[in-house]
Amino acid sequence: MKLKLTNFSLRFPWIIILLVLIAAVFGAIQFPKVQFDNDPENMLSPNEPVRVFHNQNKANYALYDMVIVGIVNTNHPDGVFNVETLGRIDVLTRQLLSLRQTDAGLPEITVPSPFVPDLQPESARKRILAKIFHNDINRLFDENGDSAIVKAELISPSVVDNIKQAEHGALKIEYLMEQPPATREEALAIRDDAMNNPLYKGTLVAEDEKAIALYIPIIEKTYSYNVANLVEKLTADWPAEDQLYITGQPVAQDTFGVEMLVQMSSSAPLAGLVIFLLLLLFFRRISLIIAPMLVATLSVVCTMGLLIGLGFKVHIMSSMIAIFLMPIAVADSVHILSEFFDTYHRFGDKKETVRHVVGHLFTPMLYTSLTTIAGFASLIFTPIPPVRIFGAHVAFGVGLAWVLTMTLVPAYILLFVPKKMLDRMPAKEAHHKRSGLDGFLEKLGMFSYKRWKLILILSVLTLIVSSVGIQKIRVNDNPVKWFTKHHRIRIADDVLNRHFGGTYTAYLTLTPETAGGCTCIEALEQMSAAANARFAGKLPEQTAQFTALLDRQREKYRNVATCNPDECFVTLINAAQKMDDEISGPWSTLADEINYLEDADLASFQALENKMGEGSAFFQTLENKMAGSSASFQGLEKLSGEDLREAALAITDEYTALSFVDFLYEQRAEITAPPMKQPPMLRWIAQLQNHLEEFPKVGKTSSAVDALKKASYELQYIDPSVAPGNFRAEIKTKNDANYSVPDTSAACAQVFIQLEGMKKKDSLFHLVTRDYREANIWVQLTSGDNTDMASVAEETGKWIAENPPPVPMNIQWAGLTYLNVIWQDRMVTGMLSSLGSSFVVVLIMMMVLFRSPLYGLLAMIPLTVTITFIYGLIGWAGKDYDMPVAVLSSLTLGLSVDFAIHFLERARELQKKLGSWAEAIKEMFKEPAMAISRNAITISLGFLPLLFAPLAPYRTVGFFLATIMIVSWLATLFILAALITGLKKYLFKKRTTNSH
Amino acid sequence: MKKWIAALLTLASINTFALTVDEIVTKANEAAYYAGNDGQADVKMTITDAGGGERVREFRILRLNTGEGTQKFYVYFTAPADVARQVFMVWKEVAQGKDDSRWLFLPALNLVKPIAPGDKRTSFVGSDFVYEDVSGRALWEDTHELIEETDTQYLIKNTPNDPGAVDFSEYTVLIDKQTFLPVKAEYLDKNGKLFRRVEAVKIETVQGHPTVIESRVDDLARGGHTVNSFSNIQYDTGLTDMIFTERFLRRPPREATR
Repeated sequence: MKLKLTNFSLRFPWIIILLVLIAAVFGAIQFPKVQFDNDPENMLSPNEPVRVFHNQNKANYALYDMVIVGIVNTNHPDGVFNVETLGRIDVLTRQLLSLRQTDAGLPEITVPSPFVPDLQPESARKRILAKIFHNDINRLFDENGDSAIVKAELISPSVVDNIKQAEHGALKIEYLMEQPPATREEALAIRDDAMNNPLYKGTLVAEDEKAIALYIPIIEKTYSYNVANLVEKLTADWPAEDQLYITGQPVAQDTFGVEMLVQMSSSAPLAGLVIFLLLLLFFRRISLIIAPMLVATLSVVCTMGLLIGLGFKVHIMSSMIAIFLMPIAVADSVHILSEFFDTYHRFGDKKETVRHVVGHLFTPMLYTSLTTIAGFASLIFTPIPPVRIFGAHVAFGVGLAWVLTMTLVPAYILLFVPKKMLDRMPAKEAHHKRSGLDGFLEKLGMFSYKRWKLILILSVLTLIVSSVGIQKIRVNDNPVKWFTKHHRIRIADDVLNRHFGGTYTAYLTLTPETAGGCTCIEALEQMSAAANARFAGKLPEQTAQFTALLDRQREKYRNVATCNPDECFVTLINAAQKMDDEISGPWSTLADEINYLEDADLASFQALENKMGEGSAFFQTLENKMAGSSASFQGLEKLSGEDLREAALAITDEYTALSFVDFLYEQRAEITAPPMKQPPMLRWIAQLQNHLEEFPKVGKTSSAVDALKKASYELQYIDPSVAPGNFRAEIKTKNDANYSVPDTSAACAQVFIQLEGMKKKDSLFHLVTRDYREANIWVQLTSGDNTDMASVAEETGKWIAENPPPVPMNIQWAGLTYLNVIWQDRMVTGMLSSLGSSFVVVLIMMMVLFRSPLYGLLAMIPLTVTITFIYGLIGWAGKDYDMPVAVLSSLTLGLSVDFAIHFLERARELQKKLGSWAEAIKEMFKEPAMAISRNAITISLGFLPLLFAPLAPYRTVGFFLATIMIVSWLATLFILAALITGLKKYLFKKRTTNSH
Repeated sequence: MKKWIAALLTLASINTFALTVDEIVTKANEAAYYAGNDGQADVKMTITDAGGGERVREFRILRLNTGEGTQKFYVYFTAPADVARQVFMVWKEVAQGKDDSRWLFLPALNLVKPIAPGDKRTSFVGSDFVYEDVSGRALWEDTHELIEETDTQYLIKNTPNDPGAVDFSEYTVLIDKQTFLPVKAEYLDKNGKLFRRVEAVKIETVQGHPTVIESRVDDLARGGHTVNSFSNIQYDTGLTDMIFTERFLRRPPREATR
């Protein structure tokens, strides 16, 4: 049974070769179809609620992925706010806005005059990369030929709104930089305007005045690399003092994709080379070691071919498939070769030797492969799609490698390894002398045997210390930190986060919990209170009458579950109208008449009397109503013209203000106001923002309230310099007080509607929905560390729990920075459960393999120590537990149990053969330990080329895998040997009796 | 040969019957913005965003022709409740070098604020209409060209004389030959792409004046559109200059409230 596959290969080696060739060709022809996916967002499945919400939020508030272009000038005394730099920014903005597609499909810029920029990268390397990525550098348009830049939403001083004071107390609405400045004064005016706008300070302009950022929204992330390239080309002729930094998560991701490819095309072949050299060192025969190299290469080609053929995109995880498979795939063939090498002399025949070796190694190799497959396959159950794909394919690759080892290696040996060469080979002992490893291993074996207690104590200590370390593990990730420190993305990220409120974006969204506003009952109660406040002083009788009416209404609705507030109003308006007819009505008529008076009628009080008729209804009303009023009728007589009109109207105003109808309409506006027009709610948002900005990593928050306050201030601004000196301070105080949320919903609504009609249409609706029910707070962080985002989210949640909003709100986070936190969470929990499940699966496999629970448990010990040690080390070293580290856990399990399998299998065999553990252990540390060691060294050195990869996650993986191999190798040899020594009574007694 | 004849005939017809392009645009401008000596209407404005959400604004608009192309507008809001009594007033100028005067009254803040001259192609109260759609665009600002003429319509191409001041590169207007009302205007962006369309959806004759009673503007770049429905249209009600003053911002005229 065991030899079926191998016998077939030995009988029909050419068929095997043919089949393998077909598979290889099939795999290879898939390669050109490769597509890359470098979007960390895809770490979450598209149906993941938080991601669905994130996209929904983007649609709700018309938010786009942004390419952020920072322009920094630290040389000029005015920073970036100098005529030249601002001029260049203006030109760049207009150029980006003018981007269009020519008939030939090329991008064309029409400013200052039409030209087709040459976007081809200068370096040959980038050109080649663009080729491989199928990236058409001129791809800057959608299928309709529209620009990939969402022009209407571009954020640049030249195209963002600015509300400011103009001459004669007028309000001016224009762009912040309507025209590029011609003088220093104009440049500084732009600076001051920008700094005075809370929406721009810290986002568009740096508070230190050294930097301006353009936010270029793009229709899809995939355009970011090309847009960044376009910006670089357009600014190529800028002087050195205007430094340009391009960042933004889309750019980082795109660049990451490029680096990923570099890694794949360099690290994997390098790993292959290292493995090749090591094997050459161990076996010294190229013709022999071609077999494992073939197995490795073919497994990689077929697995990647399968992945691409199945239509999966190559994600950061799957880009590591080659580097994982390569060392694992050679492992089995190394065992076969090692054994073949050592036993050939005994048989002197290739077929016989192969049969012997395979027969001997079949079970352990099957199980080592199965455990490795289990380790990777357990990743299929994580909730992270790219990790699932990675796990499934590596598992497939490992399985394939096993099949190839069982078939291709024998076929290869039979067909291509010359018998002469084998015959000439030195005998086992002679060969052994060559390796310096033997002596070391034998000493190690004796040490394990004699000092087994010490080893066990040390192991337990290691476990304890490591467990403490594990407690210290900080779960954290930051996709920008996937780049190495000196990468230009990291530098841009550093610089821009120093100058601005932060390039990491999250959105805090507020959605009302209930659909409706307040109920009729509440509305009526509110109105009653407001009516008392407004009318009770002047019209006690009517107020009582009115509130009684409100009370009756309230009784009526007491038992009605729902009602439409509009309904209550109809009844009330009729009643109010009657009251007005008596009280304010005549005054309104009067006021209207005064308003319509011609200038001639106001030449003097006399003229007024003439016009209205002395003792006319007009003056009758005036006199009647004035009785008991504070207003003085006498003052009017000295006045004339508009002053007279104003004075007369001032008197009428006092009474027309007592209109119950007006009151009801006002109340209706207040009561039916959506949450984001209610002053208490808006003030609460401002408080929430203040709280958010207390976090050191939160550089800036922006909300509709910021826009509202600014507009309220500018609308109501009075220039103190036009007032007499003694009033100036008072006016200034009043102006400052207007930098706030207005007191009524109607006032908020009226200020908001001005913001709706700004030059840049709908920019307000990035922050509030059009129905003013929901709001979106833009939170900028200076750090993309998940721990920072997570703590902001958590603390904010607590604060909100303690300070609930006046209108109950559902609070939800969105934005890429927040998504990262979520997928990391999924990763950590997913990895833990997959580690747990694969541990159990492997344990069961071990028990079945050794047909003994004790052996099964024993096999798990070295890897348990290894995993604990590795994660303890991560904890102690303060290395963040990030994506690559998380993935390692399940791999460790599958890989490091292999050593234990081989060790235990051979130990049991030798014990049986020699009858004494003391004898067996000596043998154990000769050939079997040698095979394990060769394997450990091959695999760990095979991963080392990853240390030279341009991206941090690969380095982490490389370093830790190498460490894992070394540690589990030592753990196996030391601990297993020591444990067997200690437990030999239990381990071998039963066996011995059984065998007799 | 046939083409020749057709061309000759067209030429001939232009020479004999047709108006010059300047005459056409002048007549259209008058039909669209200057009917009667004064005019007023209640307007229901429905703004539909790209996602289908609707916002409604209601206002009464009063207009008075004040000679030499100048006009005064008084826009009095009645709905939604929270912007009721808000007023927007314009004194429109058409002479080159003269700017419109604009005022805003916000009742909830009891605030009258003059608005400095600025871009007239900004959104009117958040709708897809721009100020210029409401009050009209001075003819001298564009170069007009008759590019097509059918039995019923003229097609005029208008190219701005100061391209830097506007958001379009050109626009075409279809003018109904009978009423001289512009029935469709299409705006091309700087890259020659159609991005905005204004249409007269319904036209009725009121007091002898062909009048647009429903107009619609489509923002083709972002999606979304705005429809204005006009009712209670009246011409020549005898509006006076007096009510178009700052004084009447705080205390709206009877013409606006009744």
